[in-house]
Amino acid sequence: MTALEELTSVSRDITNPYVDEWKRRGKMAVGFFCSYVPEEVLYAGDILPYRVRPTGCQPPTHLADTCLSHLNCTFVRSCLQFAYEGKYRFLDGFVFADTCDHIRRLHDVMRATGPFPFIRLIGVPHKSGEEAVSYYAGEIARFKSEVEQYFGVEITEARLREAIALYNETRLLLGQLYQLRRGQSPPLTGAEALNVIIAATSMPREQYNGLLSRLLGQLRGSQGTGKCRARLMISGGGGCDDDSPFRVMEDLGGLIVTDTLCFGSRYFMQPPAGGDDLIMGLARSYLNRPSCARMSDKVSERAQFTKRLIREAGVDGVVYQRMQYCDLWGGQLLHLRKVLKEGNIPLLDIEREYHWGAVGQVRTRTQAFLEMIEERRNGR
Amino acid sequence: MAGEMSLPKQISDNFRAVAESLQAVTPEWSWSVQLMSDYFGSVHEAQERGGVVGAINFGVPSEILWAMDITPLLIDPIGGVAAAFPEGVARYIDLAEQHIPYYVCANNKTFMGMLLSGDLRLPKFILHPSVPCDSNMATYPVMAEYFGCPYFCIDVPYLRNEAAFTYTVGELRRLIAFLEEQTGRSLDIDKFRQAMEYSNQAHEYMLKIAELRQTVPCPYSSLDAISEYGLVLMLCGTPQLVDYFRKKYQVTAGKVARKEGYLPPGEEKLRLVWIYGAPAFDFTILLHLERQYGALSVAFMNNNFVMRPIADLSTLDQMLMGLARKTVMMPMSRECGGVWENYLEAQIDLLRRFKADAAIFGGHVACKSNWAMAKLVKDRIYDELGIPTLNFELDIFDPRVSSAEDIKHTLGRFLEGVPARQSRAE
Repeated sequence: MTALEELTSVSRDITNPYVDEWKRRGKMAVGFFCSYVPEEVLYAGDILPYRVRPTGCQPPTHLADTCLSHLNCTFVRSCLQFAYEGKYRFLDGFVFADTCDHIRRLHDVMRATGPFPFIRLIGVPHKSGEEAVSYYAGEIARFKSEVEQYFGVEITEARLREAIALYNETRLLLGQLYQLRRGQSPPLTGAEALNVIIAATSMPREQYNGLLSRLLGQLRGSQGTGKCRARLMISGGGGCDDDSPFRVMEDLGGLIVTDTLCFGSRYFMQPPAGGDDLIMGLARSYLNRPSCARMSDKVSERAQFTKRLIREAGVDGVVYQRMQYCDLWGGQLLHLRKVLKEGNIPLLDIEREYHWGAVGQVRTRTQAFLEMIEERRNGR
Repeated sequence: MAGEMSLPKQISDNFRAVAESLQAVTPEWSWSVQLMSDYFGSVHEAQERGGVVGAINFGVPSEILWAMDITPLLIDPIGGVAAAFPEGVARYIDLAEQHIPYYVCANNKTFMGMLLSGDLRLPKFILHPSVPCDSNMATYPVMAEYFGCPYFCIDVPYLRNEAAFTYTVGELRRLIAFLEEQTGRSLDIDKFRQAMEYSNQAHEYMLKIAELRQTVPCPYSSLDAISEYGLVLMLCGTPQLVDYFRKKYQVTAGKVARKEGYLPPGEEKLRLVWIYGAPAFDFTILLHLERQYGALSVAFMNNNFVMRPIADLSTLDQMLMGLARKTVMMPMSRECGGVWENYLEAQIDLLRRFKADAAIFGGHVACKSNWAMAKLVKDRIYDELGIPTLNFELDIFDPRVSSAEDIKHTLGRFLEGVPARQSRAE
């Protein structure tokens, strides 16, 4: 298998051979729901951080809907459905952040209707100034103690430093991957890139970095796909872990060359952690990454980040996808639309469910979007 | 309500007319209405004379603003009262929905629409806390960027512990610094202390009144119980609020001493507690329940002020620590902005104290957070208290989601199954 095939196979299902092997060796794995959870802390305790996805969950989510409401997003309802079906029994615990109303209530419902092992929540500030960094460092330190106590592990400074170095390396390598995507002929599609990122959150980090390095070696100098109708950015909210709509867009001639997703650029484009105080370093690194819409003091910065990536990757149009009932990413539109309009950047806004049920709609709307971009380019 | 009319003035004028007509019937009923008229009038006057008006969401301590001679324009009440007027707020909601999704809270959409339409002048700044929900976080920072309006978010941590309170104190300090920068004024500690003393006095009366309201029969009307939430948000830290609650306490204590309920003798058949939203667009629904079913709405989640007055006003830090604790204990922030146990415990306590026969969960359709708990809470209430809960969908500002008639019908069917108080052993 090529490195790309290997990484793609990891992203296709809930579990994969790497996780199976990890568990066979008697090691533990803890699921997390938000990229603001500092994975390095878990990894330093020899616990595999696994980003929870309800990959393959199709409606109806009848078990989840006995507790959650139809007004809750289908991502959390699908996660709860899988939790109740036992699909996550390979996980020894779950870590949440107070990411959004849906996620924090998933945390509550799972605690109330368990038993699920080791459920914890890390309070993440909505700001990134030094006071918020200090507060978040306190939360990370508390989480570290809870992990040590519950799992009977010791997270030493040395192990934490190693884990941080490993994760920093991932960020560096993914940065190189995205650099390749910016070229005139990107060596991989947006769908492929998504699967590469998902794999990062689903397998042991040393092995992932090894595969990613191999992939980069294979991609450098390879003849990529230059011919397309339009270079696209995928922007918007979470729960975007299914490559099928990306493939639809790319089958129609769009080429996804960059994104602002948390299964994407926002996952790795953060300042490297480290320093003398490792916990403070982690807090500062995570709070100063390209932000989620939950962060209150970063509205303008998010728009500038989007514009920067548009410029660097030569983007012709932005596809903004957001989950139905996601207030945070829905609210961003008020400002982002204005900013993109001022920059003469076409925007396609797609509201969806987790499972992208209306792929036909994606096809139709993408087709129209690509035609519009072509007409603008041709001066019509 | 279109065009160049000042919304605050229009609201003030409308309330004044209502207060005058109530004055002729029962003076007590006119007090809260007159107070609201005065408040919105003061907002209008401040805008007219170039005074500083800051738009704030509930949870921002109005004491700080009043102490700095800043008129707080409370976003929730202005939307709530406008929703009750004949033309409602559909126009503002529809305008906002041209920019943001329909499922964002009507509270935020109404404010956004008011600004977009020009019916509400852009405030000097927008202030809001990070609690209780995504709708606030999704809209206020974005509105501020869109309109070019300075804003400040009081970041209130999700988990409530000493580190969280310390962080919130820091946020309040940064809020003061922000206000000083925006206004060119410094916070006068003595004026702030005076505002806090007024706030404490009002809270003392509120707690005493809450005790009296728990009496059977209940001496308080449904409308007073729900409308006072807005008054507290708007006027906490002012002598006007103290005066209002002092008068209400005297009247209510007198009624209890005479064993008088709000409803005529024998007419209080059911005691309802609204454990979440209520239809702000038509509070006469509550009157309908009283008349039709003898069902008095004795308490509301939104009027459940349980925080003690802040004892230590000796230093700025102590006052801010008191306010930090108060902020997280404010109705809505306490219940909806933290773990579900906060909500559950608060509602069970409320239902128990007020001797409820039934709980009404008016499920505001934009509230994903509370709807995620609704089933769990309903079951737990029945397990612990043996009383039924009605969960139903509405938009607290927009009758197009569930009309007043639909809501009356839904409530009526539910109440018909709840045993009347007189037929149950006390």
